[in-house]
Amino acid sequence: MIAPFAGKRVLDLSALAAQQPHGLAIAMAAKLAAQFGATVVRPVPERGDSLALLPPILPDGSSALARFLLAGRTAGDGRGRFDAAIGDTGALVGIDAALTVRISVFGPGEDPPMSELGLLALSGILSAVHPEGGVPHRLAGHQAAYATGLAAFTALAAGLRAEMSDRAEISLFDTACWVNWKEVATVLLLGSAAVARDKMQRADWHTMRATDGHVALVYMAKDWPALRDLLGDPRLHDPRFATQRARGEHMAELDALMAPWFARRSRAEITAATQRKRVPVGPVLTPLELLDDRQHRSRGFLDTQGVPRLPVLWDGEALTCVMAEMDHVT
Amino acid sequence: MSRSGGPLAGVRVVDLGWLTAGAASSTMLLDLGADVVKVEGPGALDPFRDWTGAEAGTDWWNHSPFFNFTNRGKRSLCLDLKDPRGLAALFRVLEGADVLVENYRRGVLAGFGLAPAMLRQRFPRLVIASISSQGEDGPERDMVSFGSTLEATGGLASLTGPADGDPAVTGRNINYPDQVVCLFATGAIVAALAQRDRTGSGAHLDLSQRELTSFLLGEELIAAAAGVPTPRLGNATAAEPDEVVVPDGDGWRAVWASGSAMVRDGITLATAAEFVAGTAILHAPDGQPAKGTPFGFGTWPAGIAHGAATLGADNRAVLLEAGLTGSDIDDMERAGIVATQPRRARSE
Repeated sequence: MIAPFAGKRVLDLSALAAQQPHGLAIAMAAKLAAQFGATVVRPVPERGDSLALLPPILPDGSSALARFLLAGRTAGDGRGRFDAAIGDTGALVGIDAALTVRISVFGPGEDPPMSELGLLALSGILSAVHPEGGVPHRLAGHQAAYATGLAAFTALAAGLRAEMSDRAEISLFDTACWVNWKEVATVLLLGSAAVARDKMQRADWHTMRATDGHVALVYMAKDWPALRDLLGDPRLHDPRFATQRARGEHMAELDALMAPWFARRSRAEITAATQRKRVPVGPVLTPLELLDDRQHRSRGFLDTQGVPRLPVLWDGEALTCVMAEMDHVT
Repeated sequence: MSRSGGPLAGVRVVDLGWLTAGAASSTMLLDLGADVVKVEGPGALDPFRDWTGAEAGTDWWNHSPFFNFTNRGKRSLCLDLKDPRGLAALFRVLEGADVLVENYRRGVLAGFGLAPAMLRQRFPRLVIASISSQGEDGPERDMVSFGSTLEATGGLASLTGPADGDPAVTGRNINYPDQVVCLFATGAIVAALAQRDRTGSGAHLDLSQRELTSFLLGEELIAAAAGVPTPRLGNATAAEPDEVVVPDGDGWRAVWASGSAMVRDGITLATAAEFVAGTAILHAPDGQPAKGTPFGFGTWPAGIAHGAATLGADNRAVLLEAGLTGSDIDDMERAGIVATQPRRARSE
């Protein structure tokens, strides 16, 4: 049985977190610890468990988020000795654990009020999802918190394996900035002018309408000749579209020329045609479509209730699922 | 800066990772204290060496800002794996390794004679982390994808963007699945090392970025399976329908129930006090900005001991450690199997 952390007792303090982003990040880290074999205890305060009430709400009135994020815990009140505890500053006070994993907004100091939208704004991720002429948009779901949960689990796993008596620090803001490193690295490595030039001259990726939805139009400079020839419009040979920089400068015109080709075809037709040319275009799939996605189905990624297994196969096998128990639900 | 120790002290990693998904996962292992040897070939450089800012006419392969940013602190071995002697040398290096990280296009590793099944048999204690777009198998295993393609096929794009407009992807500046897979893959690799501590057996980890992208929308998948609609909501969420992003002077401001924050771009982020004080980007000992790490320990704070090594700078040291003789290495250098420069010029 694959259970790297079997025998390790981990305290999940997500229900006691003062703010929702912290709670979600703690719960993600604890979920991974449970799925990798640790015994994870999740005490719930008398005031209730706000995470267990978060949308989406299922027809039976329960939370789909709780089903995904909070299953697989062992009941308990947090007393006793733990190998590790994950929480925010306040929740970790008085906890008896060799390793404490602290989730914060900015690291040192007191946490200011913060939301996931705020983290995406402050870290620059919002500005990356900013269509020309439109409003910056958040990444769907709970990406800011869940990414921090992934980072927290990695620190937790390393500390557990090394049997550390220590405190690991994970900042929601730093994790979001770590994810969004490329633009700020460009500023620091090549200068602000390079970023400004990049923005003006970059043929950035976006989605295009098809007959039955959208596809993501993703291509590098090397892919352009194949894409251009596939679309077959002689106007695409115009010098205004000859280089990636020129295409970026004339993106609206380029899109207007390309759009009809996409709009006449289905996502499957577009994907098949572009993939034959090794251009990395793909269909925009909804959660409902993913339930019957042939790649996910082939790899046994989702169960019949849409619950995903861990996104790793271990010598070709899925880790034993621990999602069946819902003993946390208040 | 001297730096030894960390939770993965003593763990040896062979890094066949390219660009972000593979190479930054290995960097995170390094940041936990592992020794990482990045292996490239004179005909198979990490594409980040030939990237923006690497000036033609110089030894550009050693001066790519983004390569050096991501790969700081690793040792560099440049070995032609297409030559049987080069492959044999890599096998010697793997005999002393704990972890192999790779994110080649599926089939390329096997093409080098390094199929995971063979490696598992030959090096039973080795943890092999294969990071790929779609996974090791399945009908779409060979579908060509960048990170933002996977945002589409993994479900994220359908839920991102304006409620009444087109779905959106993060694009080249983030390629979100390429980033988050590093955070998850590193944790999975550490878990596999913990399992090996218990059992003596390594593992082959098959990590699909598309699956991770969908996994991070787990509640939406469960809702969809129960017949609950999963619409695109723009900047609002079902729990917080009033969250918005509004114009604010020349820029934008995110507003939620208990606060608001400016929407930063990279330029404003670079000088923000909390960013400068944070660990997302650190500095190598030579002062150059370098990839940071999103966690630290009281006894092992985030930090960088070494900048990027030049290509092949550690050829001799690594191969001697692996048991090759100086004479073996001399022969392979003369044959161009062990090298310190690429065989090609910089691409235009």
